[in-house]
Amino acid sequence: MRSFLATFCKDLLVLWRDRAGLAVLFLMPLALVIVVSLVQNNIMQLTGDSATRMILVDQDKGLVGQGLIRYLSERDEINLEIGTDAEAARSAVAAGDYQCGLIIPSRTSEQLVIRLQQQTEAEWSDSPKVSDGNTDLPVEIVFDGTIQGLLRFAMTTTIRYALFGLETIQREHITMQMVFAELNMPKEQAILRETVPDPLLVVTEGAAAGQPLRPNSVQQNVPAWSLFGMFFIAVPLAGALIRERQEGTLKRLICAPAPAWQVLVGKTLAYSLIGLLQFGLMILVGRYLLPHLGTPVFDVGDQPLAVFVLALAASLAATGFGMLLGVLVRSYDQASMAGAVAIVIAAALGGIMVPVFAMPGPLQTLSRISPLNWGLDGFYELFVRGGGLGDISSNLVALLAFFGVTLLAAISIFSFRSRYGQ
Amino acid sequence: MAEQALIQVENLRFSYPGREVPAVDNLSLQVTARDFFGLLGPNGAGKTTTISILCSLLKPAAGEVIIDGFDALRNKTHLRRLIGLVPQEIALYSSLNVIENLKYFGRLYGLSGSELKLRIPHCLELVGLQDRVSQPVATFSGGMKRRANLAVGVLHNPRILFLDEPTVGIDAQSRNLILENLKKLNADGMTMVYTSHYMEEVAQLCNRLQIIDRGEAIAEGAPQGLLGEHSDCPDLEALFLKLTGRQLRD
Repeated sequence: MRSFLATFCKDLLVLWRDRAGLAVLFLMPLALVIVVSLVQNNIMQLTGDSATRMILVDQDKGLVGQGLIRYLSERDEINLEIGTDAEAARSAVAAGDYQCGLIIPSRTSEQLVIRLQQQTEAEWSDSPKVSDGNTDLPVEIVFDGTIQGLLRFAMTTTIRYALFGLETIQREHITMQMVFAELNMPKEQAILRETVPDPLLVVTEGAAAGQPLRPNSVQQNVPAWSLFGMFFIAVPLAGALIRERQEGTLKRLICAPAPAWQVLVGKTLAYSLIGLLQFGLMILVGRYLLPHLGTPVFDVGDQPLAVFVLALAASLAATGFGMLLGVLVRSYDQASMAGAVAIVIAAALGGIMVPVFAMPGPLQTLSRISPLNWGLDGFYELFVRGGGLGDISSNLVALLAFFGVTLLAAISIFSFRSRYGQ
Repeated sequence: MAEQALIQVENLRFSYPGREVPAVDNLSLQVTARDFFGLLGPNGAGKTTTISILCSLLKPAAGEVIIDGFDALRNKTHLRRLIGLVPQEIALYSSLNVIENLKYFGRLYGLSGSELKLRIPHCLELVGLQDRVSQPVATFSGGMKRRANLAVGVLHNPRILFLDEPTVGIDAQSRNLILENLKKLNADGMTMVYTSHYMEEVAQLCNRLQIIDRGEAIAEGAPQGLLGEHSDCPDLEALFLKLTGRQLRD
């Protein structure tokens, strides 16, 4: 074990002295996690994942305006502010200060009552119904240009529902007044509801397969970009192998009587430890730094052992890839180029940049061959779906198999080449 | 009765893939214990390839290598316990200092504890680097790097030391120190197998030598004996040029 420990410590020391390499390994995923989480958090806000800021200008001052204010104020998904000037409200929305604005024109309530009375009377009379040709009473909704279609649809539907409720209340009231008149009762006794009644038929959002969690921006980005950074360990590892080959230290390693497996395991674990440290740092960033920048807190769930095992497996897979890369390429430039391109492609296929479900069909199939996808899917299982060690067993097997295959390939190619002086 | 060979090489043959001419072709040599054996030849003659085979870095296509009585091609671990290597390259981790390099390679060679603690200052003193221990190797001069390279090679006090051009490209003072130390180590019992292009070094150090060209042995014996066989050659360099020709080898 002496050679294993010596190699483990030596490689950590060599890495520690390579400050530029360390900066790339730790600062790159750090920057990516922070920037992408913040960007995606903003996109989620724009697409309705958090409360929408709305300004309402009530020029009506009647039952429609007051009813809408009451209804919208009670909605958790809307942060309502009351404005006084319609033009100022439109400008504020256009400037992005509010995501949407609602302007209720003056006399809307008065016009509504008149139209409803005309409609109700026409329905109750024997004479044929005649349209006055001007039945629409518009309530204006305006959106910030950056708001996505789904949020527009959701907000418009919410306002339509509220208006329909208010209209129904008023129609009910007018109908009751007419019924009371028919029964020779004082129509003033007819009750006018003050709020839109709660519906009896409601839609509730359940959880798929009983799991209560939904991914937020940090739950998506912390594991995704951590994996991306962890796989970048392949580049300095390949570089270290190339340097050992070019500088002749490899000759000394081979000529030493130490068991080769101890040297190999020492090197593998040193680089895997760096991968784990990267992952740990990203978790700390998601948990303690990102919330200060306005994102949700990263929740590691209640399966820390499973998280550790999966991170270790991903780190080993990255190390195996680095070993193979270091054996295949001939120079550090080749390692940097080929390694970076391979990792970016694997990341793109693996759903790091764009979710797999948003990819075209053939690419979704291809994504299954990306080790980053195996890792990311495992982390989603733990962080989003609330799974445990048993639920990520296939991910673990795939990552460890990748590690084994790449390591064996690296050893075989290296042995063949070095034996015959290639 | 002739002294038994410590290194016995018979009919060694090795070809690099894609090359028609073998790098080592039917090469045989003998090195007895305590020899300072010089392996000379122009560029591409097969010196480094031969040393690489003897150190178990390359596998020959044919031939036999017996070292200390055992088959060195089959018993690599046994072989590696006997040998030390000072390669042509500065085979050190340049971001580590010389003590960190010595500690690492010492542990790979099975040294530890008090033995390692004793050997490190001894080797540093041997190569005159005892005052530069905290400096990363990358900041060393060429001569200091060569001396550090030698220190790592002899750290575990091997029975046989393979030296592949250990003094190339360094100043006279460093070269002198290295040569003096090599003589001392040889006098203490370490067998040396040494390649160099510096004929005056060879004349100064080696008690036996072999000149090879295009992978084949073309002359072998004690330097004085070889010069005696070629009375028209006043020194080793003239002999070397006579045997290998004056055409350039790139």
